[in-house]
Amino acid sequence: MDTFIQLTLNGLTLGSVYALIALGYSLVYGILKLLNFAHGDVFMVGSFIGFGALQLLGGSADPVVPVWLLLILITLAAMAGCAVLGVAIERFAYRPLRDAPRIAPLISALGVSFFIAYSMQLLFGADQRDYDAFSMSEGALFFNGFDIGNVRVPLLRIIIIVSAFVLMALLWMLVTRTRTGKAMQATSHDREAAAMMGIDIDRVIVFAFVLGSALAGAAGVLFALRAPTFAAIGFLAGLKGFTAAVIGGIGSIPGAMAGGLILGFAEAYTQGYISTKWSDLLVFVILIGFMLFRPQGLFGKADIRKV
Amino acid sequence: MKARAVAVLALVAAVAAAIAASTAGAGSSSAAASQVVNCRGPLKIGLITPLTGGAGFLGQEQLSWTQYAITRLARGLGLRVQLVRGDTPVEKGPGEGLVVAQKMIADSRLVAVIGPATSGAVASASQALFAAGIAHISPSATRTSLTYGSNKEATSGFFRVVPGDNIQGPTDANFMVDKLNAKKVVLIDFQEPYSVGLADSTQAVLRRKGVETIRQSTSVNTTDFSSLVTRVPNDADIVFFPTQQPPDAQTFAQQLLEQGKRAKVFGGDGANGPTQFKLAGSYVSNFAPDISGVASSKALLDGWKKANPSATLGSFGPPAYLATQVALLAIKRACDAGNGRMNTRRDIIRQVKKVRVPSSILGGAFRFSTKTNDPLNAKFYIFQIQPNGTYKLVG
Repeated sequence: MDTFIQLTLNGLTLGSVYALIALGYSLVYGILKLLNFAHGDVFMVGSFIGFGALQLLGGSADPVVPVWLLLILITLAAMAGCAVLGVAIERFAYRPLRDAPRIAPLISALGVSFFIAYSMQLLFGADQRDYDAFSMSEGALFFNGFDIGNVRVPLLRIIIIVSAFVLMALLWMLVTRTRTGKAMQATSHDREAAAMMGIDIDRVIVFAFVLGSALAGAAGVLFALRAPTFAAIGFLAGLKGFTAAVIGGIGSIPGAMAGGLILGFAEAYTQGYISTKWSDLLVFVILIGFMLFRPQGLFGKADIRKV
Repeated sequence: MKARAVAVLALVAAVAAAIAASTAGAGSSSAAASQVVNCRGPLKIGLITPLTGGAGFLGQEQLSWTQYAITRLARGLGLRVQLVRGDTPVEKGPGEGLVVAQKMIADSRLVAVIGPATSGAVASASQALFAAGIAHISPSATRTSLTYGSNKEATSGFFRVVPGDNIQGPTDANFMVDKLNAKKVVLIDFQEPYSVGLADSTQAVLRRKGVETIRQSTSVNTTDFSSLVTRVPNDADIVFFPTQQPPDAQTFAQQLLEQGKRAKVFGGDGANGPTQFKLAGSYVSNFAPDISGVASSKALLDGWKKANPSATLGSFGPPAYLATQVALLAIKRACDAGNGRMNTRRDIIRQVKKVRVPSSILGGAFRFSTKTNDPLNAKFYIFQIQPNGTYKLVG
């Protein structure tokens, strides 16, 4: 039972991060019908911005502000930086191709992904960056927390999971309860009709990139608090986020949340009960399975067309 | 009919171009290999090591000690030597070793290579370096199959001044049993040759000694090891974690503590990185001792500190000094044999194995084994990480 609880906790932690990445995919796809394959690299840039902000604020062991404020500030810095990056990507890589055949922005997305990854490697080297959260408050983030049975739920995991769910809830409220959110929904349903109703489509698209990229930035920081990050990490993280979005139904916000969690649990249980070496394979088996048998995902709607 | 003739002509031209392209490199390397080298002119020694990336710290150590050896020794041997740097970040994969080697091969003044530093890079570059007649002496490549077995991965132009993993695995296993009293050991590999080979050789000795072993595998891309840690039994004494990324060893050790596991992490030479893997109580093995404990090397160490005031002494640097010393002595021997000139760069390969260093920086006399291009009687050393993050020699 302890093993099950621990693996569930592992899956929940990982799944929360995947869900945040998946939301970015879904937001952009929902509005532009574009698979933004550079999204994983925005996640990586977020983890690097967080690392830079952490160093500016004195580092893990001896920060110049209290740890709780430190965590908030590095997350906000990553979100802001990634939001700017998202806007730049949309403006220079996707907007000029908006009316081009769908393959063109897809190829552009792959190009942007490689451009970001290799630029980061060129600028900052290929070294792994460790936030060293273990040194924050002399290990309190790892050793404080509460117990479920014999399993310790450390403070750092609580912070990661709660932060991810708070961000998801805020996004849900923004999309469903604000005018901008409703404009996003309208654009997602029918871009032309939305434009005819007076919605500024360019503004809505930019806003979707801002939101999605900011969430990826937050995910980058939350992930890197527990594991080292490096310039090439975005590709695999992006693929997992994409898989999570497909599982939930790409374009669906609740679907992205559910897909991320399902993927996190699937990885954790596979590693824990079957084999650690099969977990990445399983992710892509799930992806292929959904593509073949339920391409609309769990929460998406089948695209039925009259012929 | 005319179109068919044009197609055949085009095909013949394409095949001819392909043959020309594929032999062009070989031609230039063999031409460079057979070129006469004047020992009075400035000669070049290449260094192939990861100067950037996750393993950049070890490359920087090797760079500073290689440069130091050239500055200190070359003039005394009557040689004028320049150092050429070749960066092979481990994240670019082992093939980068060949890319860098090809650039060095093209330089006819470059007569020897220190490195490649990693075993994968040696395996990819050795054939090309040997074809060009360039001796390559590694200060850190430890994969057993480079110099042992029926399918050796390196050529006879490859030498190393540190022992292979066939020594490391048993050394680590014996330490776990004899000094740490280990009864249950989890061994993890990363599904690539270095860690699989090292875990295999360690596991074999542990089993022979009656230790219960559990083998796990993960991917080199994994950086969050939570679920792997969950699989570590609570009563395991040691987790053998032969990563090539010290931050991964640090994360793994922290996640063991987080989940309340009592097992200690034991890393191989790839996990050796005092600024990145610093969790107290963990162990790492390495192919070189801490030379600050070698009395005969004190003057050398003092000189290096003076030349590199901001650098920290690690275990990867001193073997690079020894490798450079061996290369310089071999060049000197080749030049003396040819009365101030070498007929080909290959003359140096013939001399490397004859080199003797009576008092090596690593302590004691150094020479190569007569059976392989490995050092004679070399051994691995075990360090324990102290609460202040320093590595203390314990075995």
